[in-house]
Amino acid sequence: MKTIEVIVLSDGTTRVETHGFVGEECRQASRFLESALGQTMSESLTTEFHQESNFQPIQLHQQE
Amino acid sequence: MSHIVQIQTEVRDVEAIRMATQRLSLPEPTFGEVRLFSERKTGWAVQLPRWRYAVVANVQTGRIDFDNFNGRWGEQRQLDSFLQSYAVEKALLEARRAGHSVQEQALSNGAIKLTIQTGESH
Repeated sequence: MKTIEVIVLSDGTTRVETHGFVGEECRQASRFLESALGQTMSESLTTEFHQESNFQPIQLHQQE
Repeated sequence: MSHIVQIQTEVRDVEAIRMATQRLSLPEPTFGEVRLFSERKTGWAVQLPRWRYAVVANVQTGRIDFDNFNGRWGEQRQLDSFLQSYAVEKALLEARRAGHSVQEQALSNGAIKLTIQTGESH
């Protein structure tokens, strides 16, 4: 499940965390919130961000 | 998680200001020129509990102008609470406008967590 967590601290500063996204899609998914809330102070990327889709279909060969 | 962004809240949405005052049971915000101790500011005035002067939100710049004489004319925690409520209401508005469902949870450290489900699974 792809989710976005917004954690608003008691002084009003906000942390936006994306979960379940891979690669650049996490930035795209949360951009609407980040720009609406205010000025980005810092960003950190996690291992999921750097994953690329490595899916390769397995080809089956039937012997005749 | 995929990425984490820290944001300094800017107060730019009048509807979110209104919702924040409702959340905190504060008087409705009013637009106009507000007298602070030594100057006047124009914007959306929010009267915080036990503050001598209203705080003034300029939605063009996102700034809040206020004068509390380092806490003598109003407690900082009241302003912090308003900013927190504003950020929560703004995030709720934006998430619902985007068609997402949202769950709100109060955390033990005083923070508020919103969990937004984007409706996709991987």
